Amino acid sequence: MNPTIKTQGLTKRYHDVLAVDHLDLEVSEGEIFGLLGPNGAGKTTTIRMLTGQTSPTSGTIRIDNHDIIREAIRAKRLIGVVPDVSNIYDELSAWDNLIFAARLYSVPKLERENRANALLELFGLFERRKDDVAGFSRGMKRRLTIAAALIHKPKLLFLDEPTTGLDVQSSRLIRNLIKELNADGATVFLTTHYIEEADQLCQRIAIINKGKIVAMDNPEKLKAISEERQVIEVSFILPKGLEDKLKGLSCISEVSRFGDKCRLRVDDTSEAVPALVDFSRENNLKIISINTLKPTLEDAFVKLTGLNPEVMKTEKEPVKKSGNSD
Amino acid sequence: MWKAFHIAQKDAKIYFFKGPNITFGLLFPAIIYLAFSIGRDVGATSIIPGLVTMSSLFGAGAIESIALPLERAKGTFERLLAAPISLTTIVVGKALGGFFFGIVLSIGYLLFALLLSGGAVASPLLFALGIVLSAFAFSALGICISAPFRDVPQAMPPATLIRVALIFLGGVFIPVATMPPFLQFVAYLLPVTYTIDVLRQATTGYIVIQTVIVDVAALLFFASVFLAIAVLLLKKTIR
Repeated sequence: MNPTIKTQGLTKRYHDVLAVDHLDLEVSEGEIFGLLGPNGAGKTTTIRMLTGQTSPTSGTIRIDNHDIIREAIRAKRLIGVVPDVSNIYDELSAWDNLIFAARLYSVPKLERENRANALLELFGLFERRKDDVAGFSRGMKRRLTIAAALIHKPKLLFLDEPTTGLDVQSSRLIRNLIKELNADGATVFLTTHYIEEADQLCQRIAIINKGKIVAMDNPEKLKAISEERQVIEVSFILPKGLEDKLKGLSCISEVSRFGDKCRLRVDDTSEAVPALVDFSRENNLKIISINTLKPTLEDAFVKLTGLNPEVMKTEKEPVKKSGNSD
Repeated sequence: MWKAFHIAQKDAKIYFFKGPNITFGLLFPAIIYLAFSIGRDVGATSIIPGLVTMSSLFGAGAIESIALPLERAKGTFERLLAAPISLTTIVVGKALGGFFFGIVLSIGYLLFALLLSGGAVASPLLFALGIVLSAFAFSALGICISAPFRDVPQAMPPATLIRVALIFLGGVFIPVATMPPFLQFVAYLLPVTYTIDVLRQATTGYIVIQTVIVDVAALLFFASVFLAIAVLLLKKTIR
């Protein structure tokens, strides 16, 4: 079976900056594929090339076996695009935005009206369908942008940072929707800098840094990369002075606080747990709970990129769309 | 082609009544024209083609001088780029938006000029042909001028400067025949010269078929060249 997306040697250069560096990837039909990386890693540039919005400097892209440059119109008919910044027309109503999007994809009149109604209902915007989008909240605009991308029932949906800047409720709604779309047969390609989001949603993940894919596999296999270091999470009241003493234990390589818990990176849990119990006894500390944690995708990310996971938590600065991308 | 029409329809809905369009498209031609004609003995055969040419140039070009950079700044232009349509269709659609605005303004200004001057148009059909061709050429010119820019404040000064220069060099106020030879040469390289000529002939009724053919061919040529340049410039500036 041909992959839905196939790139070979995909490269994009902006003057002296190599934004995407020889990207080879294949996304299978029905897959949720995530491109995970910090801001500036090349995620948006990749999505812009995959959707035919900008040409690669070199390399090829095939969407369902259509070359995105030479057979752009055929390839673009198959895809829906949700960019990182909602790009619906503020001056038009929600209804007019959807109808305009449908017309661009030649959706027949009756079908586009039925589809627009259904999508407005699905996204909870039906009551506001006649209102100008200018008065919508960020979450509502995001939902409408996704609805516009779905108006022609695309086989392949691209979502660039779908939940960035949204409240918890809107983010959850969008994540559930992505899962539902995928269950209905759509292939989903998304970019995100939220490690947890990638872990929850994606069947396969590519970690991108400085324009290069540093790892590509399913989340569990990526997590296994960092398994040689284990984490113990212990809940006790640890006075300040004792933290350094705890760090001094030979079996503990790192101590970090998470609320009322301490996370300890250790090489061997069977050695570290008894040492920790002894430490608590000696210092009159009461252990409330103790757990060994499996490595997370964040651990794998740190190991693979050498980056501090905090860089993933910084939000992207607003950019002028026709200017430089991620 | 339908998709180009839908883009034009959307632009009309969004941008026709935007403030800068009203200022530059609707008021600017009247202010400039009145500023240069008050106190001078200007007859109907000058007022009618002069005002209509200016309204077409400023009106048809104003929409896309605003719409295109604004859409690029807001990211909505990306929606068009991601859709299954060619860049040429997008540019034609944008040009049609300006074209319709130019036509509406030209008709409005024609009625105003007829009332102001008490004159009449001797050949309405030729006048209509002149309005249609000019509106398309000027709209395409508007896209050409704004294509390299990514926001409205960047795009407006060169757009206004170029249009004002076209008005003075294209024979709206000073007949081309009275200009020094070098400026006459320059004038014949400008679309406005052909608009004013065809509209003057239609107004006066003194029609010389050969020059009308040249005017029509020149306006068609300018429209095609401006569209082609706009496509190339946009292609070059999409990163």
